[in-house]
Amino acid sequence: MNTTRQPFSKDILHIDNIETVCNAIITKLKNDVGRTLQRRGAVIGISGGIDSSVCMALSAKAFGPNKVTAIMLPEQDSSDDSRLLAEKLAAKFDVKDTLVEDITKALDGFGCYQRRDDAIGRVITNFDPKVDKAKIEIKQDAASNLPPAFSVTVIKPNGEVISKLLPVKEYLQIVASTNFKQRSRMSMLYYHAERLHYAVIGTPNKHEVEQGFFVKYGDGGADVMPIGHLYKTQVYQLARHLGVPQEIIDRTPTTDTYTAEQTQEDFFYQMPFEEMDLIWYGWENDYPADEVAKVMDKTTQDIENIYKNFERKRKTTAYLRMRPIF
Amino acid sequence: MHTETDTKAKVRNYIIESTFDDVEKIKDDTLIFEEGILDSMGLLFLIEFLQEEFNLTTSDEELVVENFQSINSIMTFIERKM
Repeated sequence: MNTTRQPFSKDILHIDNIETVCNAIITKLKNDVGRTLQRRGAVIGISGGIDSSVCMALSAKAFGPNKVTAIMLPEQDSSDDSRLLAEKLAAKFDVKDTLVEDITKALDGFGCYQRRDDAIGRVITNFDPKVDKAKIEIKQDAASNLPPAFSVTVIKPNGEVISKLLPVKEYLQIVASTNFKQRSRMSMLYYHAERLHYAVIGTPNKHEVEQGFFVKYGDGGADVMPIGHLYKTQVYQLARHLGVPQEIIDRTPTTDTYTAEQTQEDFFYQMPFEEMDLIWYGWENDYPADEVAKVMDKTTQDIENIYKNFERKRKTTAYLRMRPIF
Repeated sequence: MHTETDTKAKVRNYIIESTFDDVEKIKDDTLIFEEGILDSMGLLFLIEFLQEEFNLTTSDEELVVENFQSINSIMTFIERKM
C-alpha cells in the first residue's frame, strides 16, 4: 500500500484532468437520473451564481439542452443582475425551456418578509423596511476560538450603518423567516419536476453540504447534487472549462437573500474561498497545522483554530444532513 | 444582589440544564466550547441567559474566547461588567 502523500501546497486542489472529471460527473448524472431515479430530464433553479451555472452546464451536456428546464425564482429582494445572468447562461448552453417564477407573493403569503422585519425591528428599533436595507453577518474572525455569533446590520438611505449583535430569539426568527425563500423555491422546482417527470438537480458544493450552508428541505432538497463533492475553487475550474459566461465567474458569490448586499464570506464562511478550500482540505486529510500554516502564511495557532471552527461547523450542522429518524 | 457563589452556581446550573450533561463533567475550568459542551447556538443562548439573569449585555467586541471559554472565564466577564 502506498502511504506517501503529496506535500501540502497551494496547487493541491487543482484538477489536472479537468476533461476526465467533467465527463465522469456527466456519466454519473446520466446514470443517476436515467437509471437510478428513472426520470427523463432535469429541472434546475438558476440564480446567475457559479454553482447553479456549473450544474446547469453539466446537465445540458448530460441530458441534452432540450431535456433541461431552467427556472429563475426571483423574489422582491433578488438582485436584477441575477436574472440577466441566468438568462445569458441559458442562452449560452442552448437551454430553451426557461421559466421565470416570481415567488414574492408566495413568500408574502407565508409572512416571510413581515416575520423577518418584525425580528429586525425588535433589535434595531428605528429600522424601516420600506427604505432601509438589512443583512445578517458574522463579524468574528474564523481563527477565533469561539463559535460564531451573528449580528444584524441595517443600512439607512443616507448611508448610516447600524449593527447590533443578534439575540438568539431574533436570530432564529430571521433565519426561519428567510428560509421560506429556499423552501418555496424547492416546492416550485418539484412542481415542474413532477409535471415533466424530471429530476431536481441540487446545486450545493462541498462546503455548503459539509459546513451546513444550506436550508434543510430548501436548497438541500433535491434528487441529485452533481457538485456536492467539489471544493469551490474546483467549481470555478469547471466553470471555466465548461464555458460559463465570464460575468458569472467574476461575480462575488452572494446569498441573494437579504435586502443589503451580502457576500457568502460575510454571512457564513468568514474567509476567502481560496483560503478556505485549502485549509479545509488540510483539515479533512489530517495535514498537520504547522505544515498548512507555512504554505498559507498563517500561524500554526490560527490554523489550529480554523480546524476547530470547521469541526464545530460540521458537528453543529449534522442535523441538517440527517434523514428523519425512525 | 448576587454573591459570587450564587452567580457561579447559576451559570453552572444553566450550562448543565441546557446541555443535559453530567454535573461531574463540567468543572470551573472545563473548556466548554473546545470540548463541544456548547456549540454556536449554545453561545447565543448563553448570551441570552446572561442578559435575562444578570441584565448583562454583550457587545460584538466582547465576543472573544477569553470571556466565554469556561465557567471561570464567564465569571470574570460577569464581575467585570457588573
